[in-house]
Amino acid sequence: MARRSSLPVTFVVPTIAILLVLSMVPTLYAIVIALQNRELSSTDYSWVWLSNFQDLLFDRRFLNAVWVSVKWEVVTVVATMVVAIGLGVLMFEVASPRLRNLYCLLFIIPVLLPRVSAAFVWKFAYHPLYGIATYPYRLITGGLIFDPLSKPSTALFAVASVDVWQWGLFFAVIVLKLLETLPPQPIEAARLDHAKRWQIHAYVTLPMLKAPLISLMFVKMIESLRSFDLIYVMTRGGPGVATETLDMYAFSQGFIESGKVSYASAMAVLMMIATVISFTMLWKRVQA
Amino acid sequence: MKSYRTRPGRLIGKAILALAGFLAVFPLVWTALNALKNNVDIITRVPRVVFTPTLANISYILGRDSVITGLYNSVVACGAAVLIGVLLGLPAAYAVARYPNRWAGDIQFFVLSLRFLPPVAVAIPLMVIWLQIGLYDTLPALIVTYSLLTISVIMWLAIPAFQAVPKEIEEAAFVDGYGAYSVFWRIALPVAARSLIGAVAFSFVLVWNEFLIALMLSSSNAKTLPIVASELSQQGMNVPWGILNASVVLLSLPPLLFLGVLSGFLNSVFRQKKT
Repeated sequence: MARRSSLPVTFVVPTIAILLVLSMVPTLYAIVIALQNRELSSTDYSWVWLSNFQDLLFDRRFLNAVWVSVKWEVVTVVATMVVAIGLGVLMFEVASPRLRNLYCLLFIIPVLLPRVSAAFVWKFAYHPLYGIATYPYRLITGGLIFDPLSKPSTALFAVASVDVWQWGLFFAVIVLKLLETLPPQPIEAARLDHAKRWQIHAYVTLPMLKAPLISLMFVKMIESLRSFDLIYVMTRGGPGVATETLDMYAFSQGFIESGKVSYASAMAVLMMIATVISFTMLWKRVQA
Repeated sequence: MKSYRTRPGRLIGKAILALAGFLAVFPLVWTALNALKNNVDIITRVPRVVFTPTLANISYILGRDSVITGLYNSVVACGAAVLIGVLLGLPAAYAVARYPNRWAGDIQFFVLSLRFLPPVAVAIPLMVIWLQIGLYDTLPALIVTYSLLTISVIMWLAIPAFQAVPKEIEEAAFVDGYGAYSVFWRIALPVAARSLIGAVAFSFVLVWNEFLIALMLSSSNAKTLPIVASELSQQGMNVPWGILNASVVLLSLPPLLFLGVLSGFLNSVFRQKKT
């Protein structure tokens, strides 16, 4: 539409200006704070420039948090995509249209829940003595105790399972909808060539959906960065530091343990730089 | 012959789906049941399905000042932020969708990139800023912060919704002598309304569920419901589980009210792709 009108300017400029102010002020201020030595307990501060970052390099708990965050990101993204594609294809193959609608409705429910609610629901379910999810184990073993949230080896996976419960099921619905948008001819052709069902999906339908599936994975990678609520409610980063991700550690440094706001902000700034750079690069690739 | 061979596979597939459907809702149903139980019926080694229901937990929750304040704060903060998101986000999305210029791509990327920002990185400086201005732990501070979320999400989802409106309808309106603003107001908004309501509902769910920013920006007065609920649990086993479960149910109800709207929204998004 090549009409001359003041509309684009009056509609876009105020909104973008407000978004810029709301996002740039905290972002730049985060960097400023990271270069100082502010603490919650006092209003005095001085400029310490890069020394917070220098300290971070030798902070073993920080390096652990980086490692936990990377593990969290990989585990949740991979598991979500596997669950989503698996269930999406299954719905496409074996469910009647009415059942599909029912499953779609059911599978959207977990992701609508506040993360805090989801975390509570499963924290109760994983309780070693009274939990509903650990009950089958108690039943089979005759009352042995399994406490997934307080064993360092299983805690991260137990929390990740809640994330996958929310996002994997939701993405299964999207995968199904994507499959439904595909033209039927290539599938028919493969069927005439006596391709097995799994072969049709592995070699025909999923490759056709490569671009939207990658975008979906991209969305999940961004959402996986928001692990704080689940971890805060379920384990508080424990046992020990087994589930302490970067945002959890930054929060506890800044607010719970020592009130070192600047130190926490330095961590947040590093996270911000890492995510903005890597996601910008990924996004340009996805778009290309 | 083929269908005969794949029949056991289909059965297994159906069983897996049924199990997944069960897993999707059962934990929630169980939580809702526990909200109706006395503590003796919850703290059992063998889960109890048959019990005498009680409304004590729910009435306790609804009678607590902290919960009511949290509910009020959540409703006001989320409602106001969504309203701001609608007022600023929808017109901007329409302009980007219908008057593409050389910045359109950059604007879209900028709006998306706001989602990359780690919440901690935004919350820490904002806390310091609000403290200095004297607005820390107030609803206006929370509303302004949440507006960043709602404006960007509504814009992001509304751009494709406006693009899906057939151009011919708008062209016809121009020919009939409508101005640019009345085309937006009278044509584009009503035609895209279904998808737009989905986008707005999504933004509401997003801020209703938000936790980290609310946790960092409030200490007593402006606590939202998720914060109040999580604090109940920090008291450990001293709080009867039934009460905790009741608070989880209360917190989860508003987003679930939008289940129908959001699944309809999903459907309409993918129907557009098909055509």
